[in-house]
Amino acid sequence: MTDLLTLTDVELYYDHVYALKGVSLSVREGETVALIGANGAGKSSILRAITGLKKISKGEIRYRGQRIDNLPSDEIVRLGISMVPEGRRVFPYMSVRDNLLMGAFTRTDKAEINRTLELVLARFPRLKERYSQAAGTMSGGEQQMLVIGRALMSKPKLLLLDEPSLGIAPKVVQDIARSIVSINRDDKVSVLLVEQNSRMALRISQRAYALSTGNVVLSGDSSDLLNDERVQKVYLGAEV
Amino acid sequence: MEQVIINGLYLGAQYALIALGLTLIFALMNVLNFAHGQMYVLGGFITYVIYGQLGLPFPLAVICSGLTLAAVGSVIERFLFAPVIKRSAREESTMLLAAAVAFFLDAIILLLFGEKQRGVPKIINGVFVSDSIVMPYDRIVVGVVAMAMIVAFMLYMQYSKPGRAMRALAQDRTAAQLMGVNVDRYSTIGFALGAMLAGLVGGLLVSITGVNSGIGGSISIKAFLMVMIGGAGVVGGAIAGGFILGMMESVGLTLLRNFGDVTYLVIFALLMIFLSIRPHGLMGKPWG
Repeated sequence: MTDLLTLTDVELYYDHVYALKGVSLSVREGETVALIGANGAGKSSILRAITGLKKISKGEIRYRGQRIDNLPSDEIVRLGISMVPEGRRVFPYMSVRDNLLMGAFTRTDKAEINRTLELVLARFPRLKERYSQAAGTMSGGEQQMLVIGRALMSKPKLLLLDEPSLGIAPKVVQDIARSIVSINRDDKVSVLLVEQNSRMALRISQRAYALSTGNVVLSGDSSDLLNDERVQKVYLGAEV
Repeated sequence: MEQVIINGLYLGAQYALIALGLTLIFALMNVLNFAHGQMYVLGGFITYVIYGQLGLPFPLAVICSGLTLAAVGSVIERFLFAPVIKRSAREESTMLLAAAVAFFLDAIILLLFGEKQRGVPKIINGVFVSDSIVMPYDRIVVGVVAMAMIVAFMLYMQYSKPGRAMRALAQDRTAAQLMGVNVDRYSTIGFALGAMLAGLVGGLLVSITGVNSGIGGSISIKAFLMVMIGGAGVVGGAIAGGFILGMMESVGLTLLRNFGDVTYLVIFALLMIFLSIRPHGLMGKPWG
């Protein structure tokens, strides 16, 4: 498997406070990779750096060999990287339909866009029921489905998910987890998943990185990490 | 009665167009464009020159007003507002900048076109008369064109791709960026579009009321009134605010005729009471 995305020694700070202090990691083609760690460990900063929302101060980010850390966000989307931001962030006063169409903003072929739209609606039938409803009036779980669907509308090769389980009913978290697995396996989309729900993240990913205060402190196969004593103690809250 | 309603609709259509431009710029960039009235005046003078002085067709003159203002708007956004927004952490900076732009445009307009009230030949002669309504044909044309522009603008915002992108930008800037919207470019487009609307109305109305370099400030105030009534940053609010102000003006001029020139005094008083009850206006939510 080849590397789709690599971060090398990435540093990033907000107002002179370092959020990332030299992070290196990679996502290979076809993989689901999880980033776990406490609040403020730097997980979201990694996603913000990849999508160009926040410029890095040192290091480099490559996507399919090409450096992307100096590109603006809209060009990064065009390359095939799509992000589901934390807290969902639907366009609240737009219909479900318009939200989804915004996801295809970088694409021009109408017939192709409609094909993707059909696929997304087939994956999340709930969105079809709510098609003309304003997105802000839906439940948290429905909004999460919408933003994942919206991210898929750009036909990404790499999907970045920031805390998709946050503030969502436990039963719906299961559905979302299943969707992520299926998007990865059936649609052949590589996934980089940031989660505070470490157990769920490790179960549905092949590899994982654990972060603490802006550094990668552990990495490896998710199944190994799931059984690792330190991980169980720190990230899974188990009594050891 | 019918006469009052027709007058109100006629006024309301123009006012709504002015308010739409102002609210678009506010929704997209969080900028209160104090120079909106001056942009209207500039549009008026451009139509005055092209139609009134050069004798070219009126529709062409109005289109030129719109296009010139779109160009002026995009230059102002790109070289003044965008850098200030990027560098300043304080929101007041853009307000001061907008005020400065207003004074600057006032000065330029005075320099180029002088302080005289300017009018143009009537676009259509004649008056429509029925049992209850008397309305000059040129006002009917201007009112209908203004309403058509409102409809066109709404369709554009609702169904076109750039329109959808601008709505998205107004509702969640970061999310729009993640969809691949070039935020800088669409901010410029939005500002240009808002300025263009001001220029178009200015050009249209020069055929009825004429134009004068001193009226920019009061047009801006009316625009702010409408946006406050309807709720800032909302399409429906700007349109509602425009028609409400138009109606109030029309009704006031009829009912309060005998008390002198007090219509706007009453409107301001009512607005203060209204805003103390509903500070966000009728529809206090961002762009829908």
